[in-house]
Amino acid sequence: MGTLQVMVRFNSNHSFIVRVNTSWTIARFKQEVGRVQGVPSDQIHILFAGRDLPDSLRIQDCGLGQQTVVHAISGLPQLSVDARSHATAPRSLSDVDLNLQPAGAGAAAGFLPSYFVYCKQPCKAVKPGKLRVRCGTCRQTTLTLNRDPACWEDVLVPRRIQGRCLSSGCAGTVAEFYFKCADHPTSEDDTSVALPLVRTNTQHVDCLACTYVRTPVMVFECADSHVMCLDCFARYCVTKLNDRQFIQHPTLGYTLPCPGGCDNSLIKEVHHFRMLGEEQYDRYQRFGAEECVLQMGGVLCPGRGCGVGILPDGTTNMVECVRQAGSGCGFVFCKVCKEAYHTGPCGETAPQPSAPANNYRVDIQRARRARWERRTAATIARTTKACPGCKVRTEKNDGCMHMTCPRCRFQWCWLCEEEWGIDCRERHWFGERG
Amino acid sequence: MAATRRLQKELTQMRQNGIKSFRDIQVDESNMLLWQGLIVPDSPPYNRGAFKIEIVFPAEYPFKPPRITFKTKIYHPNIDEKGQVCLPIISAENWKPATRTDQVINALVALVNDPEPEHPLRGDLAEEYTKDRKKFLKSAEEYTKKHGEKRPADP
Repeated sequence: MGTLQVMVRFNSNHSFIVRVNTSWTIARFKQEVGRVQGVPSDQIHILFAGRDLPDSLRIQDCGLGQQTVVHAISGLPQLSVDARSHATAPRSLSDVDLNLQPAGAGAAAGFLPSYFVYCKQPCKAVKPGKLRVRCGTCRQTTLTLNRDPACWEDVLVPRRIQGRCLSSGCAGTVAEFYFKCADHPTSEDDTSVALPLVRTNTQHVDCLACTYVRTPVMVFECADSHVMCLDCFARYCVTKLNDRQFIQHPTLGYTLPCPGGCDNSLIKEVHHFRMLGEEQYDRYQRFGAEECVLQMGGVLCPGRGCGVGILPDGTTNMVECVRQAGSGCGFVFCKVCKEAYHTGPCGETAPQPSAPANNYRVDIQRARRARWERRTAATIARTTKACPGCKVRTEKNDGCMHMTCPRCRFQWCWLCEEEWGIDCRERHWFGERG
Repeated sequence: MAATRRLQKELTQMRQNGIKSFRDIQVDESNMLLWQGLIVPDSPPYNRGAFKIEIVFPAEYPFKPPRITFKTKIYHPNIDEKGQVCLPIISAENWKPATRTDQVINALVALVNDPEPEHPLRGDLAEEYTKDRKKFLKSAEEYTKKHGEKRPADP
């Protein structure tokens, strides 16, 4: 039998470490706490993960790990019977399964992780999670639950489950659930976000994309509950991100549907995209912010390497990318053509004054940069065409003349630069004008 | 590479099950993204020959669709002179990662056997097909005999 170092917080006041043997009962544990504190052990309650642990339970069965924090409360009035753990309850909160399993599927799943989190540090990966509960009022883990959570809503929707806080002087009754990474010892504030769509593949379902049976998997919220392995999910997301085909939803944010293209299947918890890794997640966040700005009628600064989102006022085409708080590049541009601001219609180059007429000095760096920009602009003009719907510059690297704009969904013809029509289909679908 | 792993599995299954109208599947093990095979239609006028096709899978497969090109010339309203074909099941809008290559092939064989003159790539052939079927069939049969590949012996 192993030993564990358990952090005991006594009467929500001071903490000390108790070295326990995993074969001990809670009664034996209480004796140890009582000896340290000079309190009779029968007056001590050990609270962990929403439960007042019963004397007969063994340490190895209650889900404690290295450095786990438990609360010890002494001098409590006798608890009513139903506030105590009863025999039918799962032994620890970690055993509660929030996923509704089809009949007969549960037995084999007993020892498999039933929920997963994204651990930002140190794992930087999807890991099995531990469900924990604290008092919504004093935020100490001294709350005992009236009932166990039975589904994800019980845990994710606030105020669904009541309890009783045993901290002295706290009258808290609302349970607040949170998750921790189960893969490494965690301190009290080391919490992780739960990924409700990631499940242990107890049903041995093939991945929709690679067709291999793997675990854990993403189970999408479509009518068919399509399944995809985590590697394929990451590739699905990056492919969609490269084409900017995420969907900006007013409440859910920048997200994706089930890869099967099912109705009503948008991913509601966007933390699932954390598993793309830091570099891709940064792109995801940037694209999402940009899409949000565009949907609000804003523009993105076209200054090289800038891209700050700006909500211009409606009265003028002149937009300034104001330098403030470390962002913004100072570029002043035209809202319509995104070139440097000009008077008169877009696309006309202003008449160039001849060199001798210029009596101001030109900054050489600035001139070089301008030349580079011009070449970039020339390349863009040569290799791309503007979508007739939204004017976004579009590069055609493959396929037929029938274009579908990834941004505004407008269907247009690469040759005519107008809406796709029957004539385009019959005469120059693949380029040769008949 | 994940695309390769899936294609390996699809290829094994297709070779095991066998598709009557798609034979001689050739894939270089060092490049699973390029397949070649022979379309063997069973409806006239195309049942007088066979047609080589090439299937190119993108590196992002199955999140992006494969592309199909005819390497043998064919007289068909939905296949142009360059061998390009527009098959709805593999268009960017309709593509689903769960769609398997044998389903794509079956859709292609169905299109070859039964042209869709409402969505033509070659307006001239579509018009002939609709207005003068007899002439179309005669021309297509001659073209197939002249340019088509030899049909493999029945297994």
